[in-house]
Amino acid sequence: MEEARECLREGVLNHLNVLETEALVLSRQQKLCLQQQSRVDDLRITVEKLRAHRDQLKARAKTTMSLQQLKAETDQRNEERYEDDNSEEGCSRTGQSLLSLLMVRRTRVKDLLQAHHLIGGYDVTETRRGKGVSISIATAFEGLYLETYCLELDLSRAVRICRHNIPPFIPLEKLAQVHLQTDLIGFLSTLSSHLNAFAGRRQQICLIQEVLQDSVEVMESNMLFNSVVLMCTDSGESRKAMLFTLVYSDLSRYLPTKVTIDSEDKVLPSTPQWKKSQSLLLWTPAHAAFQALKMEGQIA
Amino acid sequence: MDDSVKQVLRQIIRRIPSNKLRNTLSKWEHISKKQFQSLEFTQAKSLLCDNLLSLCEENELSMKHVTELEMIYRIEHPAQGSWNVCQLIDPEEEALTVDSLHFKESFKAHLKCLINHVSVKMKKHEDDALWIRIAWGDNFTQPNHLKPTYVVHNLQTPYVFVSGLTMKHRPLLHQALVQSGHYGAVKDVHLSGRCLTALRDLLMRQYKQVFPVKHPKLLEEKTPLPRTPCIEIEDTKHAENRMQMAAEAFGEGILPKLETAVYKLETRFKENEMGREEPFRGVVKFASSNLLESLKYCVSSGMASAPVTPLLSSITQKGRNYFVITDKGPGISNTPGPKI
Amino acid sequence: MPDGNARCSNSFPVLVALFFFFSSVMETRVSLTNVTTPRNQTAPHRRNKSYGFSRRSLGVELTSNLGCTSGQFTAVRIPTNRRIPRPRNLTEQVDPEHIGLIVKKEWTLSYVTPLYQFRHTQLQSYSKQLAAFIVTEKQQGVAVEVGQELGFKVVFTAVLGLAETEDDAVTVLIQIQSKPAFAAQGEAAKVVWSGWLSCVSGDVEYLRSLPPDFTCLPLFGASGAESLTALVKSWFERTFDCYFGPLGINSTNLEWLAALWIGCHPDINIRYLKLAWRVPAQPPLDVSYTVHPQDTWELWNSIRQESNLRDTVDIEEGLLIWMERSRLQAVT
Repeated sequence: MEEARECLREGVLNHLNVLETEALVLSRQQKLCLQQQSRVDDLRITVEKLRAHRDQLKARAKTTMSLQQLKAETDQRNEERYEDDNSEEGCSRTGQSLLSLLMVRRTRVKDLLQAHHLIGGYDVTETRRGKGVSISIATAFEGLYLETYCLELDLSRAVRICRHNIPPFIPLEKLAQVHLQTDLIGFLSTLSSHLNAFAGRRQQICLIQEVLQDSVEVMESNMLFNSVVLMCTDSGESRKAMLFTLVYSDLSRYLPTKVTIDSEDKVLPSTPQWKKSQSLLLWTPAHAAFQALKMEGQIA
Repeated sequence: MDDSVKQVLRQIIRRIPSNKLRNTLSKWEHISKKQFQSLEFTQAKSLLCDNLLSLCEENELSMKHVTELEMIYRIEHPAQGSWNVCQLIDPEEEALTVDSLHFKESFKAHLKCLINHVSVKMKKHEDDALWIRIAWGDNFTQPNHLKPTYVVHNLQTPYVFVSGLTMKHRPLLHQALVQSGHYGAVKDVHLSGRCLTALRDLLMRQYKQVFPVKHPKLLEEKTPLPRTPCIEIEDTKHAENRMQMAAEAFGEGILPKLETAVYKLETRFKENEMGREEPFRGVVKFASSNLLESLKYCVSSGMASAPVTPLLSSITQKGRNYFVITDKGPGISNTPGPKI
Repeated sequence: MPDGNARCSNSFPVLVALFFFFSSVMETRVSLTNVTTPRNQTAPHRRNKSYGFSRRSLGVELTSNLGCTSGQFTAVRIPTNRRIPRPRNLTEQVDPEHIGLIVKKEWTLSYVTPLYQFRHTQLQSYSKQLAAFIVTEKQQGVAVEVGQELGFKVVFTAVLGLAETEDDAVTVLIQIQSKPAFAAQGEAAKVVWSGWLSCVSGDVEYLRSLPPDFTCLPLFGASGAESLTALVKSWFERTFDCYFGPLGINSTNLEWLAALWIGCHPDINIRYLKLAWRVPAQPPLDVSYTVHPQDTWELWNSIRQESNLRDTVDIEEGLLIWMERSRLQAVT
């Protein structure tokens, strides 16, 4: 009260003035406090960041170290194994680390790929610094390696075939439309079966021309070897010429889907003997089938 | 034998060089062995031609037989005139199974539907290629056998190689091809050259392409580095890398023999310094007796930078040698080329 | 169009390659095909075209030669600004016969350092000296039949009227005629070799700086057997204490050639502008860049809008800057 009265005496305005100054001082203090607080917060964040970084570096250093250690141990173990075959127990000791597991898996995958390639699978090579891959597909027929086809894929955006050496009559574009984006392995296996079937069909004709040149003549074939006309002579007395038309509708198979036999003698193709050979041709590669027919003495 | 047949025969004989005449005539089945032996190949061509004409008259040969002689020669020596390539697209199911007998009949029938006077002759070459010789007439004139069109097509493949075709007859040929081959449409692939086999090898991918593989060949197996006195090979590693890149872009061994590559440039000036909106037009032409070989040499010898610019590697990758380059596209315009 | 070509065989950096930059030896050729507008119809069209052209190309090659001669007397400096030669009717000033001898051949060019004590008044005696020299050189090691007439005749001719300024020395034309040993009487001797030494629009400052005993004919053109060219060169080198060297045309010279050829006659239509390179690959690769005529013109005009008023052309804003740009834009 006393104070107020004094204040009144000094005048309201004066009092207000004092209040204002005090308020100003207070607000300045508050601001300063806030500033300090925010600076502390900033520093704290920096500390956190640095800590995280440190942890990261620590982790990395640890991994590297353990990797080196592991490698050293493995090397040592390998050496030991050479020296002493009984020290296999050391194996379990290293099973602790996840890393070693991963390493083992990686090596195994690599080995598998290598093995896969060795038995005729794809050979995959990284190109253009990981933006593409080059895949080679080997073809084989009856245990004999034939051509190897390659294609280079661009993986940077959508999967795209940049270049390849696959012959134009293989429906590559159609296969790519179906599988390429969604199922690369599926695409490759379909393509591979097409290529292998093509190589197989061609090889059969080659073998016929090579081995059976005196008895079977290739009358007509095309680039895809999906429609082949062969001629041979019936070993019967009349020595009728027999015309075989093999149609391969399924391009991923090296066996025909349809075999028709024609002859001057209209009755001959429907005899049980020739019926049998017709079905033989549906299930056996052509060169083998004709060889069998020749062995049996059915064709001259 | 009427005069037109004689005229055609004379022209055919004139076009065949003397040193190839004997070989070509020996394959012609319309004169007997005895008749063939009676011909003197050492005498002047005009005399030889007269003798041959009398033999033909003796055998009563017609235009059909005479044009076969020309076909024999063209098939044996396909690197004449300019060959253009078109591609059949959107194949139907039957396209993969159509056989040459069917195709021949159907093609003839379709073409004769489209134009009254046309003479078509077909021959299947040893390498499964179907050779078609077309002499065009129109509704009122007989086929002109002096300027025939040659078409080479391998069934089951989408490519058709054409030589000596006029714009007027183009749609007719295309329509007949599409219908008899069971395709949906046909388009130009912008590939041309004199050497038919080169064009075919390029598109059918029958030349040796190089792909990056895990187990590269040993150095000894590769062709040695080209050495130029002006270019010192400082770093074999670099050189090897260049060789590999050159081989990956253009192939290895004997490369398809292309003569030219043409790039039509339409450049827009960004700052508009010329004060105009239209693009700046220019044509860049690369020419060599073997273009791919030259380009490969440029890259492998270090004259051109490696990796090879897509503008050049597109020649082999896309199988074309005519490009239109505008500013909008990513280097290569979307003018249709062969699909891979 | 032989006179539109400048050939050179030595190594020099190429001005611009369109898709890739070659870094080695390359033969470059710039050719421009122009036709005059039918404004000037007094002279037959064909003649008019070729004369106008030849004069221009001579002038350009000479000036460009002065810029790059590596001879001991010639200062190496590359001008960035040149006067556009004025069109003039050559037929009025030069003997048409002489023009015919100069324009209808393809010349192999060399540079020549200034000739010491060369006199235009003694051309006749030079003719005899050179003929004798050739014969002796040709017959080295071969028994000479006494009394046999000389198989070669040399004619030196002064070609008046080619000079642009009064400092330019008079062009000299040399022809070597061969007389077959068993020629029928009255049969004209055949010209087997021709060449010339010329100076058109030479750098005045340089020409005036030469000591008085020197004659500057810096450009040498030869057409004919190389053995004869070599003999002529060696005779000149011995007689006038000069030196012949291959004419190096570097990228700057080429820019100049292109710039002057296009720019010097605004009344001439450019049919097309074609730049040609030969890359020494195996097999050799020819690269050519042909620019649409209308675009060439528009470009040229846009580059030198203000310099149209002057009678000089600047190379700084030259032709090849835009080519560089267009390359970048085409590739990106």
